[in-house]
Amino acid sequence: MVLGLTIGALVSLICGLDRVAILQVMISRPIVAAPLTALLLGDPMIGLQIGVMVELLWLARLPVGAAVPPDDTQVAIAGSVLVIILGQSLPASGTELLLLCLFVTIPLGKVGQYFDRYARQYNVRLVKRVSAALSRGSFLAAEGQHLRGLISFSLSSLGTYTIIILGGWSVIPILWPYVQQPLSYSSSWMQLAFPLVGITVILGTINVSRAITLFCASFCMAFLLMWLV
Amino acid sequence: MAISRRTRLHIWFRLLLLQASWNFETLQGIGFFYALFPGLRKLYSKEKLPEVSLKYIDYFNTHVYFAPLVAGAVLRLEEDRASGSVAPEVEIEDFKEMVAAPYAAIGDAFFWGGLRPLAAGVALFFAVKGILWAPLIFLLLYNIVPIWIRTVFFSRGYHQGLKSVEFIQRHKLPDLAIHTKETAVVVLGGLSALMVFSQLTEHQLPSWLGMLTLIPMIMLGLVARKGFSTLLLVIITVSTIFLLGLFWADVVQLIVF
Repeated sequence: MVLGLTIGALVSLICGLDRVAILQVMISRPIVAAPLTALLLGDPMIGLQIGVMVELLWLARLPVGAAVPPDDTQVAIAGSVLVIILGQSLPASGTELLLLCLFVTIPLGKVGQYFDRYARQYNVRLVKRVSAALSRGSFLAAEGQHLRGLISFSLSSLGTYTIIILGGWSVIPILWPYVQQPLSYSSSWMQLAFPLVGITVILGTINVSRAITLFCASFCMAFLLMWLV
Repeated sequence: MAISRRTRLHIWFRLLLLQASWNFETLQGIGFFYALFPGLRKLYSKEKLPEVSLKYIDYFNTHVYFAPLVAGAVLRLEEDRASGSVAPEVEIEDFKEMVAAPYAAIGDAFFWGGLRPLAAGVALFFAVKGILWAPLIFLLLYNIVPIWIRTVFFSRGYHQGLKSVEFIQRHKLPDLAIHTKETAVVVLGGLSALMVFSQLTEHQLPSWLGMLTLIPMIMLGLVARKGFSTLLLVIITVSTIFLLGLFWADVVQLIVF
């Protein structure tokens, strides 16, 4: 269990940095981060399922300028860790546990938004420090201050991960006996609903004229083709 | 004095850390200074360097993948300014300010608004089918263009200086962004159809029911356009399905007994 949580924390740190601070090669996207976490914990299919459900949810929230979207990276990573670890300790497995974990972790993605904002606010101090270092001709110190910004973003990622894990850990075992049976009636439909809601949000916010027409035409064509074949 | 290829490579790698100190006051300002510093150090004396460097930590914000283009052009302008051989047509600070915002707008529309949903949509086709390569497909599809832009545009920026703006104009990226978004919408339409069809087949329900999915989807899309949060839409949708599931289970129980 400790090893699982530590592996999750490491992935959370690396993927969290990719989100804003370094590279931006998109290993922070849920479709990558969740299967990666789950693969390291020994059950990649769970990660893939979580990736499918979370990937599109906040994809329409663009990280434009100073806008900070909810932290779907940590939701996906912590969700995968919780499903795999709780699946071993609770008398539970399957889609129902996965859904319950996501119900708890998705709202906590907002916490990541606050942490991220706080990290960016904290980094404002670096501007004065870099300025002071440059004024006294200490270039190495100025460069070092830039890299210190990574600490804020790392702490923000780890903080979000910890809160989601703690939240899930304290709530899920209590809720599980009450919701296991009711969830089983509609679990597969709920699993379908997550990506579809994400797609509708993208559809509603994407800046394309005739987006709905294009979407409906594509949906109907694909559907008819599958039906005929 | 020309900046060596080795130094330019050093700068390119440092641009990967552009946003390490992102903050609400100067945004990417410190990062831009950090990236260009190896070049500035080659161009200016130790006495002049603090004064030049201080100009770079001011406000700067552009799209992270277009930053190498700006950096390349600025490097060329700095070279000209340091050598004093060419009278600058425009001040470097003005140039940065002039190009950063339009490049940011183009980049946001193309990468975040178009390419990312498109790559995610294609990768999800594989993920829905349970193919574990889906994340790699996403990374491959998404990263080809950004890596190309980061590399080639940096080189163009350095070699063309101010004229790099014309290079961007030639590529008609705003038009490309619109086409990419349209393609993303089409792909997401196909993906929705696949997910709904698979679900109906799995539950042995008539396929025509799937067409009805379009009604709530369009309604939710219109609600999202009004500014409702994704979280709220998820809660509403999932709660509705949950309650319908409970209701249906009760109905089945009544029929059985």
